[in-house]
Amino acid sequence: MKKTTEKKKDVIAYRKSCKAKGTGLSHYILMDKKAKKS
Amino acid sequence: MTARTNPGAAAEASGDEKSGQPAGRAAPSRGRFVGTGNGPKLQPIDIGHPDYVAIIDPDTAFWALVRREKLADILSGGDLTRVYYKKAGKFADEINLLRFGLKPSAVYFNPTGRCNLNCSYCYIPEEIRRAGPHMPHERLIEALGILKDYFRTTVPKGSLPQIIFHGAEPLLNREAVFAGIAAYSADFRFGVQTNATLLDDAAIAFLRDHDVSIGISLDAATPAVADRTRMTWEGLGVYDRVIDAMDRLRGYPAWSVISTMSSENLRHLPKLAAFLHAREVPTCLINILRCTLPASRRVKPDDATAAKYFLKTLDHTRELYEQTGRKLVVGNFANILLAIVAPAARRLMCDISPCGGGRCFFAVGPDGDMFPCSEFIGLEKFRGGNLFRDQIPDVLQSEPFRLVTGRKVEDVEPCNRCAIRHYCGSPCPAEAHEMNGGMHATGAFCEFYEEQVRYAFRVIADERLDDYLWDDWDAGMRDTFQFG
Repeated sequence: MKKTTEKKKDVIAYRKSCKAKGTGLSHYILMDKKAKKS
Repeated sequence: MTARTNPGAAAEASGDEKSGQPAGRAAPSRGRFVGTGNGPKLQPIDIGHPDYVAIIDPDTAFWALVRREKLADILSGGDLTRVYYKKAGKFADEINLLRFGLKPSAVYFNPTGRCNLNCSYCYIPEEIRRAGPHMPHERLIEALGILKDYFRTTVPKGSLPQIIFHGAEPLLNREAVFAGIAAYSADFRFGVQTNATLLDDAAIAFLRDHDVSIGISLDAATPAVADRTRMTWEGLGVYDRVIDAMDRLRGYPAWSVISTMSSENLRHLPKLAAFLHAREVPTCLINILRCTLPASRRVKPDDATAAKYFLKTLDHTRELYEQTGRKLVVGNFANILLAIVAPAARRLMCDISPCGGGRCFFAVGPDGDMFPCSEFIGLEKFRGGNLFRDQIPDVLQSEPFRLVTGRKVEDVEPCNRCAIRHYCGSPCPAEAHEMNGGMHATGAFCEFYEEQVRYAFRVIADERLDDYLWDDWDAGMRDTFQFG
């Protein structure tokens, strides 16, 4: 949920990275974290 | 493979980091100034937020949110642009890998051409859905064997390729599908996308026992709306049968609901979100309809109205989370957020160019014919070969596939000058080709995607990202940029 911030930052900029695994088309999404297989 | 399009983006990868001078470049620019020479190409973008505007490098998908009154200072130089300049090469490499370096890891497998429904926006031609072939049991087993052998060459050890049985309605050929899943359950992650009308207890038990992900389709919370677009050939709605299946899927973690936005259900989407949330649906997709075939264009909403109600629906999912502490993740919007904050983590590949069709996944029809994506099934021009007769690598290099895998936003007007082109991807090539006259055209929607990205940036500005993503969404990720 929303974080409370005392003062708004002048700049918000961040980026994260990981190994790319994109496979899906928009009709279906395999995003279940509990699936037994990886 | 395309060349880098942002000269400054090469600085870290191949240049002199101390001076910032890209190596081997004739232009004697050290990249000190935003927007000129080798400097960062940062475009200011209004995101509709009272306090922040975005600055975006369209080529690397780098972004920053800057307080409105600080924009001039930031663009006049300083720490942000200097730090970004040093990282730009790495970010360009990341985007280029995502766009051109991935290998196939999934197949959308249509085990039958037939469907027991006649939905108004279906992208599969009617003659196929009425009388298309079933893939015989033995052929389906053979096909999975071929795919297993192929994916050994593309999928790293420790990961499993994905097979999604798709439609038409895959459960019309249930015996063959289930035989395939049983025979290859150790070799693939399986999923079934179904209209849910044939999901009886035995089918659900089998799919659960084999950890098969299940996607079902529902367009509204009430039959009066849902049955407008999803109906049998006799024109009878199937809402009650879908709800029955949803009741029986409750508690299974690996199921999702796909809703298609059209002019018929748009105004009812917030109510649908509440309905899905109340039924503890783990994930949903609320996709704008595809306009590949003329019939679907009859229920095409205009961009502004689609955006208005889609964003209202997103607002409502956040309100539901605040009220209950439980999320309904809208997967396609979550993917846009990921495209912004962690580009390599995106899972859906419609919103990047080239799209995933023909390079991250491909589609196999009931006779083994191969297409870049299910969206092209039935369009003969896009048939690249046949799984049983041709070598998969050859099909991936066929002209029909290259038409799709070669479609880049840099070649599409106005995407070639659009700051958000790597968050949007100018979907969809099938629409562009069939509706708008060619691969260098946009798809059916543009402003809808603009509004979606602007909303995503407002979510980030308000530090509400976690409200829209699944828990632990950034587990295993590393920070590559942090400023402010």
